[in-house]
Amino acid sequence: MMIAAPASVAEIQDAHSQASGAATPLLRVQDLTIAFPAAVGREAEVVSSISYEIGAGEALGVVGESGCGKTMTSLALMGLLPPAAQVDGAIWFDGRDLTKLSARAWRSHRGRDAAMVFQEPMTAMNPVMRVGDQIAEVLVRHEGMSKRDGFSRAVQLLASVHIPSPERRAQDYPHQLSGGMRQRAMIAMALACRPKLLVADEPTTALDVTVQAQILDLMLELQEQHGTAIQFISHNLAVVSEIAHRIMVMYSGRIVEYASVGDLFANPLHPYTQGLIKTLPEMGQPGSDLYTIPGTIGGKRPPGCRFSNRCPLADAGCRQAEPALREVAPRHYVACHKVN
Amino acid sequence: MLRYTLTRIGQAVLVLLVMTVLLFLLINLMPGDPVDNMLEGNPSLTAASAAQIRELYGAGVPLPVRYWNWITAAVQGDFGYSSIYFRPVAEVLGPALGQTLKLMVATLVLSVPLALLLGSLASLRPGGLMDNLISFFAFASISLPNFWLSLILIIVFAVQLGWLPASGTPLETNPPIWLEVRHLVLPVLVLTMFFVGPLVRYVRASMIETLSSDFVRTARSKGLSEPQIIIRHALRNALIPMVTVLALGFGGLFSGSLVVETIFGVLGMGKMIFDAIRYVDFNLALIGLLLATLVTLISNLLADLAYAWLDPRISLK
Amino acid sequence: MAALLDVQDLNLRFPIGGGLFRKPLTLHALTDVSFTVEEGETLAIVGESGSGKTTLGYAISGLLTPSSGHIRFGEALSGAVEDRPVQLVFQDPFSALDPRMMVGDIVAEPLRLAGVPNKERQERAETVLGQVGLNAESAQRYPHEFSGGQRQRIAIARALIADPKLIVADEPLSALDVSIQSQVLNLLNKIKRERSISYLFISHDLGVVHHLADRVIVLYLGRIMEIASREHLFATPSHPYTQALMRSVPRIGRGRRQPGQSLKGEIPTPLAPPPGCVFHTRCPKAQDVCREAVPVLEPAPGRPGQMSACHFKD
Ligand SMILES: Nc1ncnc2c1ncn2[C@@H]1O[C@H](COP(=O)(O)OP(=O)(O)OP(=O)(O)O)[C@@H](O)[C@H]1O
Ligand SMILES: Nc1ncnc2c1ncn2[C@@H]1O[C@H](COP(=O)(O)OP(=O)(O)OP(=O)(O)O)[C@@H](O)[C@H]1O
Ligand code: SF4
Ligand SMILES: [Mg+2]
Ligand SMILES: [Mg+2]
Repeated sequence: MMIAAPASVAEIQDAHSQASGAATPLLRVQDLTIAFPAAVGREAEVVSSISYEIGAGEALGVVGESGCGKTMTSLALMGLLPPAAQVDGAIWFDGRDLTKLSARAWRSHRGRDAAMVFQEPMTAMNPVMRVGDQIAEVLVRHEGMSKRDGFSRAVQLLASVHIPSPERRAQDYPHQLSGGMRQRAMIAMALACRPKLLVADEPTTALDVTVQAQILDLMLELQEQHGTAIQFISHNLAVVSEIAHRIMVMYSGRIVEYASVGDLFANPLHPYTQGLIKTLPEMGQPGSDLYTIPGTIGGKRPPGCRFSNRCPLADAGCRQAEPALREVAPRHYVACHKVN
Repeated sequence: MLRYTLTRIGQAVLVLLVMTVLLFLLINLMPGDPVDNMLEGNPSLTAASAAQIRELYGAGVPLPVRYWNWITAAVQGDFGYSSIYFRPVAEVLGPALGQTLKLMVATLVLSVPLALLLGSLASLRPGGLMDNLISFFAFASISLPNFWLSLILIIVFAVQLGWLPASGTPLETNPPIWLEVRHLVLPVLVLTMFFVGPLVRYVRASMIETLSSDFVRTARSKGLSEPQIIIRHALRNALIPMVTVLALGFGGLFSGSLVVETIFGVLGMGKMIFDAIRYVDFNLALIGLLLATLVTLISNLLADLAYAWLDPRISLK
Repeated sequence: MAALLDVQDLNLRFPIGGGLFRKPLTLHALTDVSFTVEEGETLAIVGESGSGKTTLGYAISGLLTPSSGHIRFGEALSGAVEDRPVQLVFQDPFSALDPRMMVGDIVAEPLRLAGVPNKERQERAETVLGQVGLNAESAQRYPHEFSGGQRQRIAIARALIADPKLIVADEPLSALDVSIQSQVLNLLNKIKRERSISYLFISHDLGVVHHLADRVIVLYLGRIMEIASREHLFATPSHPYTQALMRSVPRIGRGRRQPGQSLKGEIPTPLAPPPGCVFHTRCPKAQDVCREAVPVLEPAPGRPGQMSACHFKD
């Protein structure tokens, strides 16, 4: 059972163009499936026929448990999936289908049209190259700058992400920077060529709360300045809710709910989303027992709805057919048989 | 950096000193008496001159005193006489060290770039055709015995084709450079084959690991091309652990050259030390072994410095 | 309630670097830390990375020796059957369990060290595994056969088996997925209800702390900034750092964040903590006095139970 039905994709498209007035969104992912060669004890499809879109300047949050396919989805947008991955479906970006790009065209897309910030600021930078050089490299590559000009531009970029004494920091090696500063430098690097889309894969997960707050502020500030669209991935609902306009909840390679932040929290419809919100400690009375989603993650997928083995509402119908992602309220999409 | 260098040099000197003591003890424990050997080889020696020689060699003097005499002389550049060459040790070992270093440096200059190239190529598509070919080459290089390869090369290139000389040293006393190079080709080839295999494997493993690291993914996300990623990002990082392997391998090369020197008749360190021990030449063996230690120490020292230079994280310590 | 644990003026310093000819630097991991833990109480320690939370937990468990100060255990702990009055649960459920040992043996290890006979060990291991929600046959399996949440249960079972009065749990939830976190959190709550156990609960997640803690210590650069009951701390945080922490925590239902409220700068190096109040480099309220005089941990105005180390406390 797929949501390949053209009607639903068209619906998504329509709804968006009505809401934003834009003819086509910046990014439109259509029935994207990512699979790896089959192996024992592992599902081949890590992402199954997902469709969503991001308008220019829009921030989309992606949440879901470990292994649900968040990182794979982002890597697909950058053409950075492992070589063994097979990709199906289409990724429309600025009028082009990225899945059809040549290796060469991918390279000019990366870093210029779309850029990525990764989770681990500690390992994401080359340890033996100066921070300024690593930033300059993007500019040399895409803007045809000389190394020198690239470096002085890098210093400006470091200043724009509020790194103190940027001249000195540009000369430093990554290990001389704190985790927060490294993540700032990564953001400076990602935004060097003013990409239209920034893909951020858990950019604050490894950071302390106060530093996380700083980085979130920075991303909001830069987004407002440049109108960059963001796909922001996190397993933390609260973090995503503070930066995103819309949220997409993933479970086991599928989108289960997709709505604006307001709608999602005011009126969560999918039992999984409801569970996720209810399990948060801040939702319960201190000392009381928290709601728990039964079962464990990462087991074998049940037939029918992939959440049916953990879902409190599941019935025989749920265990038979996989529910499609449907629009149940304006621009509020849910994939559950039990939601009308 | 300077402080780091000085500390390292200090450590090396300390190790060298300890080695002098150890070697001196060991050599003095060697079976056989040099004077007996000499008497055997030269029946015309009278008992009186034998006694004189014995005294010259310090018979009857306690070991610590002998060590002290020897080391004070050695520090002043007096390494004593070689009992098998009847010449000062320095005069014997100088040219030998030169020969060996020529072999080793030529081998390094050839095998390091070769290993980097082959190892990187193999790492691009692990399990691919290129990787399999290169891994086979590395395997062959590791498993072919030195002497066997030497003989094959001599038979093919020297005996049958007659393109290259079979010996490692020209007969002329002052040979022109090109002639020397011609003589070095075969032994260097054998040593390179001996040296390059493990290096290729190491570069390959190190590159595969580096190519899957986060910062390479970052480099890709910037839109860099594969050659840029490999040369600018991966290779330098992969090289860092290589330095240690190289330094260790250098010591191995020193002993590996023994076989090659023997087969190709190169009068190098290997042959000198071997002869010195075999014919109980105290002074020659002692200095020869110390020189070997020194070469290893220096190569380790250079490796440490290269390490600090390649890896900015080190120099802080 | 009697004090179970009494920590007085605890200081812990690490010598860093130094060689043959170089003087080592001193890292001030904990400075003048004093507090008590009552019987049946959950005391949470919060603070940013490097603030000394783990060091404090280790010092109390006897894994690190303080440079000065006292750690005294009260009456309730002195006659304990097994020697160690404190059990530890670590952050990483994957590396904390020996992969070559069977779960039953892992859980029973504290008893083995205490010389309890084999048969009794096995029985008690099965009982305690049951209490953390794992069936008896788990005892015959190896750690790699369990998920992260289950492994954390195993670690908790190991901590429980010796019937300790105090469990030091060092970020026991942070390696777990959200939906699994609530399971472990409920388990910790259940144990507390059933056994009147005390927890020293180390965490950087204020949401979890709010749910579980009776009292909270806020650490910054190895010093206590504030110590208060949960109600007071969350309702009327007194110290500027606590206030900043509260503001930094993302919350759902607030909509997109308003930039400009986050704390400036980063935590300074503990090798050279700032003079005066260690927080002055980032504090929005800092005045000259903060750069010179170390503020004393004193009750906040009108709230005798809420102690705060700030010249301008609220
Ligand atoms: N190279 C690979 N070959 C096969 N399967 C893979 C590969 N890489 C990842 N997977 C699988 O793909 C699934 C999705 O992984 P992904 O990294 O996208 O998860 P995620 O949602 O980002 O999780 P996390 O929160 O842990 O980062 C996982 O089940 C993982 O096991
Ligand atoms: N064995 C050690 N030797 C030297 N320094 C140490 C040692 N253990 C910890 N430190 C230092 O002591 C300080 C406090 O560390 P600690 O691990 O207690 O912090 P933490 O609050 O637990 O941080 P995190 O949230 O990252 O776990 C840090 O600066 C740390 O680098
Ligand atoms: S003492 Fe001063 S610097 Fe420290 S927290 Fe209070 S106001 Fe801020
Ligand atoms: Mg991920
Ligand atoms: Mg810790």
